[in-house]
Amino acid sequence: MLGDGARDARRTELYLDGLLSVDDRRAADVPADTDLDPGVRLAAQRLRSDLVRVHPSFRFEEALSARLSVGAARLRAGLPVELAESPATAQAAITYLRHGLGADQAATIEAPGQAHLRNQSLASRSPRPLLFGGVGVASAAISIGAVYVAWRWSHSSATPMGRAARAAHGSRVTHPAGRSRRAAVLQGILGVVS
Amino acid sequence: MSRPVLSKLEKGARFARLDRDRGLVEAARLDPAQFDALYRKYLAQVYSFALYELRDHHAAEDATERVFMKALAGLPRFEERVGDFAAASGSAADHGSAATERAAEDASTFRVWLFQIARNVLANEHRHDRRRPVAPLEEALGVSAPDDIAEAAVAREAGSAAWQAVARLPDDRRRAVILRFVDEMSTSEIAAVLGRSEGAVRVLLHRALRSVAADLRGRLS
Repeated sequence: MLGDGARDARRTELYLDGLLSVDDRRAADVPADTDLDPGVRLAAQRLRSDLVRVHPSFRFEEALSARLSVGAARLRAGLPVELAESPATAQAAITYLRHGLGADQAATIEAPGQAHLRNQSLASRSPRPLLFGGVGVASAAISIGAVYVAWRWSHSSATPMGRAARAAHGSRVTHPAGRSRRAAVLQGILGVVS
Repeated sequence: MSRPVLSKLEKGARFARLDRDRGLVEAARLDPAQFDALYRKYLAQVYSFALYELRDHHAAEDATERVFMKALAGLPRFEERVGDFAAASGSAADHGSAATERAAEDASTFRVWLFQIARNVLANEHRHDRRRPVAPLEEALGVSAPDDIAEAAVAREAGSAAWQAVARLPDDRRRAVILRFVDEMSTSEIAAVLGRSEGAVRVLLHRALRSVAADLRGRLS
């Protein structure tokens, strides 16, 4: 016999089970027990959208992968895994590990990430939103975007539709300040004057 | 007469569900270099758990490193306890929904074991850092990627109120919420990680959501 508290907790659990699987069904929400506290339901929806999973920087991921490779090699050699001399890069780790080994043994030491690439089951990762740490990804994306915009700006389309669109655009009355402002922004991003 | 036997067999079949990571774990046991696949699979989950708990980007990285190093070192001693854990999952499935059933099927005892290591590592971190002031969660998440536009937007907008509400929760409720919402663990998995009963975890989550709801309501009013 469940008490009121346990029954409410059970209702909440059933709602959470449904809510956390909405990605699989491409839904926004799920039907809930009418006795479920609406405040609890709203709080669950809020946490569902706001508590995102965070990925560390790729640099950290690769560095730790390299250290784990060293640890794995130590384990294979019958030594304890320990946080010892940690090579800065994956390649340095492999060079360090292969040093002094015969060709057969050295070939058994894989570069970090090779096992991951062979593993097909990793393709089925969660569709949850993911934040990536580190500045590299964001700045690279911004740079690629800026270069693409500049390229589109300076290269006219060769297709008839492109020419027609450009002619139509050119015939419109545009605010000169707006155009110069856009150009200034682009020049600011790229640091060049075309 | 045969019916009870059949139902017992069906139940037994449920108890004998395999760990979804069994293949990867076996490969890593045979060749420790294969541990990399498990590492890549669970890196973000372990790191997120550490970041939400420690609220410091560098401390979370250190803790994550210790967790995976300990897991690699302890892998030969890891035992897949299908009986205990899947029994708990199975009993949850007996009570409830298709989603709970699916959670039981997806259960990974390796993941539970990994998060038990993480819980211990984080408990040690908390003991060492008790005198250090703890940063707000939104600041910690902002520090990890100051130039990340999406993250900055999330931190500025809707996220902060919910994060603050979660950060104010007592430790056990906060951990349960993070494991449920960020790492998407089932109640039985959370119970195994935190060393509590499933009923206790259900109540923890329910109370945590009520606290968050009251907090958010208070902010609006």
